[in-house]
Amino acid sequence: MTTINLAHLTELQAINKKLASGYHISEQDTTLWQQLDQNIDAYQALFNALGHDLHHDARGFYYLASDESTPNMGKISRAIALTVFILIEYFANQGKDPLRAIFDETADLELMQTLVQLNKHLFDQLEIFSGSDLRKDVYLRMVRLGLARETEQGFMHLAPLYRYIDALMEVNEENFDGLEEEL
Amino acid sequence: MIPAKKVLNTLNEHWSVLELLFKRFKMTDFSVKDVQNIIKHKNPQWTSERIFRETNRLLNQEIIIPLAKSSQLEINRAVADFASFLLQEEHLGLAQEITVLVNDLERLGNRLEQAADEGDHSELRRFSRIMDERVRKIIKLFIHNENAIFNIVEQAKSDSSAISLQKRYRAVIEAFDEYIEPMLEMVDIRGEFHACFNIIETQLSQQINNIELYGRGTQDKRMLEQLRTRILDMHLIGRESLRKSADMLMPLREELRRNSLITRQASKVLGMIRKNGVDRMLSPVQPEFVSDIQRFSLGQQRHMVAYMAGLAEFEHEEYQLPDQNDVPTYQSPHIPDYSEVKKRFSGTTKTKKALLGFLTDHYPALEADELLFLYQKLVSDDALDLQQDEQRVTVTIAEHDFSLYPFNASTKIEHANDNN
Repeated sequence: MTTINLAHLTELQAINKKLASGYHISEQDTTLWQQLDQNIDAYQALFNALGHDLHHDARGFYYLASDESTPNMGKISRAIALTVFILIEYFANQGKDPLRAIFDETADLELMQTLVQLNKHLFDQLEIFSGSDLRKDVYLRMVRLGLARETEQGFMHLAPLYRYIDALMEVNEENFDGLEEEL
Repeated sequence: MIPAKKVLNTLNEHWSVLELLFKRFKMTDFSVKDVQNIIKHKNPQWTSERIFRETNRLLNQEIIIPLAKSSQLEINRAVADFASFLLQEEHLGLAQEITVLVNDLERLGNRLEQAADEGDHSELRRFSRIMDERVRKIIKLFIHNENAIFNIVEQAKSDSSAISLQKRYRAVIEAFDEYIEPMLEMVDIRGEFHACFNIIETQLSQQINNIELYGRGTQDKRMLEQLRTRILDMHLIGRESLRKSADMLMPLREELRRNSLITRQASKVLGMIRKNGVDRMLSPVQPEFVSDIQRFSLGQQRHMVAYMAGLAEFEHEEYQLPDQNDVPTYQSPHIPDYSEVKKRFSGTTKTKKALLGFLTDHYPALEADELLFLYQKLVSDDALDLQQDEQRVTVTIAEHDFSLYPFNASTKIEHANDNN
């Protein structure tokens, strides 16, 4: 049993507020990240007792794992997933290493417009019709979830985006077919 | 002639079987045994007799047909085309197909003009109908080919075998050289396609003008206008479709594309999304977030499961409502136990004291109604030997005045009286 010394958990309130809203704390949130890094056992025990599941990903971020989301959050997550997959595809077509490019390059409005134009039939399904829609519906929400940060030129993707890359690698025809049978 | 509705019903019922047949055998042949196996696989609970019957039904309705001079079977071409359209598993057609149709369109345009000049309205209508048909066909081909190119590209991108780039993209390069390039040339602003459409458009506009001018054949005007719009629309669709296809093929053709595990997977998943829809494809895999709303709602699934587990152990217990008849009468908590009082009273009977006097003496703390309750209880007790006075007496009990014929113990007066 881990002993929790609340006096050491100085950032508890801020951390709880951020995590509970779905935010991913990564190294850019220096204070919170250090606090979590140093007292991870205590925080984990505390959140566990509160019925949450505080996850530490070795690629440098913390988040509350959940096994379902509200319908609205689900829709946002789908839009983000689609954007990430399309970005990978786009960078690959440019001859860049997609994994490097996704974290190195800034996503500006021009890029967003190109993405939407090239994949109109897919974005249409999520009611995203233009680059500015993509910015508003996906990127600003990514910022709120700690998946990206806004810079002068546009948006930079952050490490928690790996969750989507993991999800991408999970898809394969077999398990989708299985799902289809169930429907 | 097999009734269309019957065929449609069978298609509907056996769609999963046909889909699998189509995917597994594509354009090749298969045996009756294969069909039966697939039906069995999709409907494991069916008896072999039923499977036999259903196979025969597919054969009788010519959804699957025997190959010429062989016992092997194949899917009816019409059904296969329909399935490939539904599943977007289309194959690239030839650029020439479109070219031929466009040339025919030009010929028909001339005939239409001729008919209009001669004032032959039935001919005019006939040609415009045929042209309409041709235009629809061209649009269909454009869309079909676009889908086919998507498929080719997707396959090339997500192919995981370690073959050389040259080989991997052979189909892509072929598609580009044999379809996109000639088509782009045609659609080009100085190309024959464009010129042809210009001619047809002016012809049609001229006809419409004439009709407006002379007022002859007004009912044809609408048809001609529609045809003109459709042709313009077709031109646009064609250009869009080709641009999109070229965008898809370009990076592959120029061998720009990096082919890492991730990009292969991304292409594959995007291809699946394209065919199955975003929501259906991504819902099972997307990462989930905790959200504010959720914190205030009932809880996550695991909390609910725990709650349900608790409920499973719950045992229902009937609650007994009290019966109106056997409600015990209210008894003031101050009243001492009756048997106690009785014993005490029996002990004092020898002194021949009045009943009320005994009560007031021994229980001075009780209220008047409480004393009267005890009094009544003692009076109606058969075990005690009590007689009623003949004189009316007024007594003061706990500050209240009562006048009554009091009962007293052991006074031998024979009288039967009603008590209070």
